[in-house]
Amino acid sequence: MSEVGKRESFTIPIGPQHPALKEPEHFLISVDGEIVTDAVVRLGYAHRGIEKAVESRTWVQSLYMLERICGICSHIHAMAYCLGVEQLAGVEVPPRAQAIRVLVAELERIHSHLLWFGVSAHEAGFDTLFMYTWRDREKVMDLLEGFSGNRVNYSVNVLGGVKFDIDDAQAIAIREAVSFLEERTHHYLDVVTKDTMFLQRTRGIGVMTRSQAEVLGTVGPTARASNVYREIRVEAPYAAYDKYPVKIILDNRGDLEARFVVRLTELFESYRIILEILETLPDGDLTTRIPRRIKAGETVSRVEAPRGELFYFIKSNGSDTPERIRARTPTICNMMSVMKLLVGHQLADVPMILAGIDPCFSCNDRMVALNRGRNKEQLLTWEALRQYGIDYYKRRSD
Amino acid sequence: MKFGTMLGDLTISLFSKPSTERYPFERSETPERLRGLLIWHPEKCIGCGLCAKDCPAGALDVIVLDKESKKYQLRYYPDRCIFCGQCVYSCRQGCLEMSNEKWELAALDRSAFEIIYGECLENE
Amino acid sequence: MGSTTIKDVLISLTALLIFPGGLFLLLVSLAYEWVDRKLLARMQNRVGPRWFQPMADTIKLLAKEEIVPDAVDASLFIGLPIVALAGVLTAAIYMPFPGLPPIGSFPGDLIVTVFLLSLVTICLGLAGANTLDRFSLVGATRTLTQLFAYEAPFLLALLGPAFVARSWEISEIISYTDGRWLLITQPFGFIVAVIGLIGKLEIPPLDAPEAETEIVAGALTEYSGRGLALFRLAKGVALVLGLTLIAAFYLGGVATPLLFLVKTLALLLVIVGIHALFTRLRIDQTVGLWWKYGTLLVLVQWLGIIIWQGVMI
Repeated sequence: MSEVGKRESFTIPIGPQHPALKEPEHFLISVDGEIVTDAVVRLGYAHRGIEKAVESRTWVQSLYMLERICGICSHIHAMAYCLGVEQLAGVEVPPRAQAIRVLVAELERIHSHLLWFGVSAHEAGFDTLFMYTWRDREKVMDLLEGFSGNRVNYSVNVLGGVKFDIDDAQAIAIREAVSFLEERTHHYLDVVTKDTMFLQRTRGIGVMTRSQAEVLGTVGPTARASNVYREIRVEAPYAAYDKYPVKIILDNRGDLEARFVVRLTELFESYRIILEILETLPDGDLTTRIPRRIKAGETVSRVEAPRGELFYFIKSNGSDTPERIRARTPTICNMMSVMKLLVGHQLADVPMILAGIDPCFSCNDRMVALNRGRNKEQLLTWEALRQYGIDYYKRRSD
Repeated sequence: MKFGTMLGDLTISLFSKPSTERYPFERSETPERLRGLLIWHPEKCIGCGLCAKDCPAGALDVIVLDKESKKYQLRYYPDRCIFCGQCVYSCRQGCLEMSNEKWELAALDRSAFEIIYGECLENE
Repeated sequence: MGSTTIKDVLISLTALLIFPGGLFLLLVSLAYEWVDRKLLARMQNRVGPRWFQPMADTIKLLAKEEIVPDAVDASLFIGLPIVALAGVLTAAIYMPFPGLPPIGSFPGDLIVTVFLLSLVTICLGLAGANTLDRFSLVGATRTLTQLFAYEAPFLLALLGPAFVARSWEISEIISYTDGRWLLITQPFGFIVAVIGLIGKLEIPPLDAPEAETEIVAGALTEYSGRGLALFRLAKGVALVLGLTLIAAFYLGGVATPLLFLVKTLALLLVIVGIHALFTRLRIDQTVGLWWKYGTLLVLVQWLGIIIWQGVMI
């Protein structure tokens, strides 16, 4: 009998199919009455092998493949990829294109944060707030649709620039919507910081101290809510962020309320940047020519996705297809913190704490090699995996 | 300490129209840039095939019918199309565009998902 | 004697099965469910369901296959929804529903009625505990915990009007409360009764026993088809009866069907408002709410009534 199994525990499976999670992921929560004693996560239900798939596609086609890693922060994936490839090719992208990329990235951040806000309200059982935030989120979706022609997967980026330009009508629409959203965000900030019933579910729940946040390697708003100074837009400005500096939003409380406050306050920062870009949009071309074959070499591209740091490693062998692309998405960095934070909380807080990191499970399913010490690390090459598959089905048919 | 911070919203909503759009019965105008069904204008096409080469979903085939008289055929599969607009961007002759009217593409018949542009040029 | 007995039996059967109990009550409960959902939707700036939606849901569920899971006591699994529905339908006999004098009545029927209404919750708890499903088990535990939390204050809140009317018979209480708005003299009792009803029916914010983001559907997770439909109907009927009881006791009586309609719907509006405004409470918070505030408020109320009556005498 293993050490863990000594005490008979009551386990509650959350996922892979569960109303709290709209995506397939498995959490095994051990409870003692209502108190969580242990939590285990199992990832990988939505693994699509995108990183492998792009190796057989051209640089242009890969862009759209990678954009589909995440449905919510699609632009930021494409942007990280484009920035990396442009760096490899040694191409200078026109400033107008960079500004438009940032503009869309901020619009996307607004949509992502509002979506998260609604979902967490729903997890707390506050469906009214959920309905209202999603109603208001529709405004920013309309903006993105009007600007790019698509509600999700905007495909604004191309290698070497952007496809779409901002005209006066767009600018007016964006200003209108932003002022509406700014007013609503003030209201929502009021709700999450003052509504007694809501605070009962957020204040002092899932507290992560600064040192914990650093040790667990959290990124993005989750880390910033624990007062960790971690924000790529500030630390390593990319695209046009050097021209439009971002103020980092920190909170030292580290509980769920702080995560709400940090994300909502970040929205104001996004509104400010959007308006600033509209005021001072540089003139010039939208794209620059980029060769079809990218020079051999490798690069790293880091951007701040709505959920935290998004990291791309891109390697080229000089052909028209990528040699290797590796994406590290923010959710996987934050996932370990959830497992840690859940212990000692009530079962009712589990969905809230889980939603607190703004998990995106489809982003999440990259390969991770865990070395627990007891079992050997097992890595299979492509050939070995293929052989394994052949053998497996041969065995089955026998 | 505040209870019911959203009471104002509730009261306003109770006496105003729902914000839901009753889609099949009322339609808001589609934005001008909406990326709907791909439309091909054959006049300017030079048959370079860049659109098909760049298509990430394999939804396009360019077939050369007659190089002399510049007759090309574009086979378009809307069910594979991801409506990314790369083909429109790649086409240097400007003979591709995405309709902002044709976007309700559901069909019960597979034939709706195989559009062959330039097939019946002689017949017409 | 023979003919009158047959006539009596026929009248009783009609009252039980068709009007005002039975079928009519079921239809009214579906209508109230629609009002509930529609009001909630409009408060949330949504469109909401059309009028026949609850009925369509029920018919669909009734027509569907009922899956009896392995490792359950099948007779209990099938029987519990029936008992729950039968319990609430029986409770209707002693109620001034819909604005008519109660059909049956005997001294102490108030207590019987309240316990018949509690039967739904007990059946829910048993139904959850009957299965091996882990969500059901947690849901059942929470259902029963909540039952123990709200039951005493809720009963005390309903006994307040009985106390001033000096009778434990519903028909006598309503003849006393007719035209007297006890809401004004016993405000705490009213508040506790309304929130007690919310807790009894597991309407948000007191829906921890069936919090979908944690434990799917709580005790009813394993139920499908007929059993689920009957439980839903039972809850709908309990809602209507609860509203009737509170309106009759605290809102100046429901002497006519029109008054019944106006007062119960107004009460429903309040409940839907509470539903829309508040976040779900955790089960420990729910229990805390009842034992810290609910019971205390009612006891203060009682003390007030006793002192007042002492002064009057």
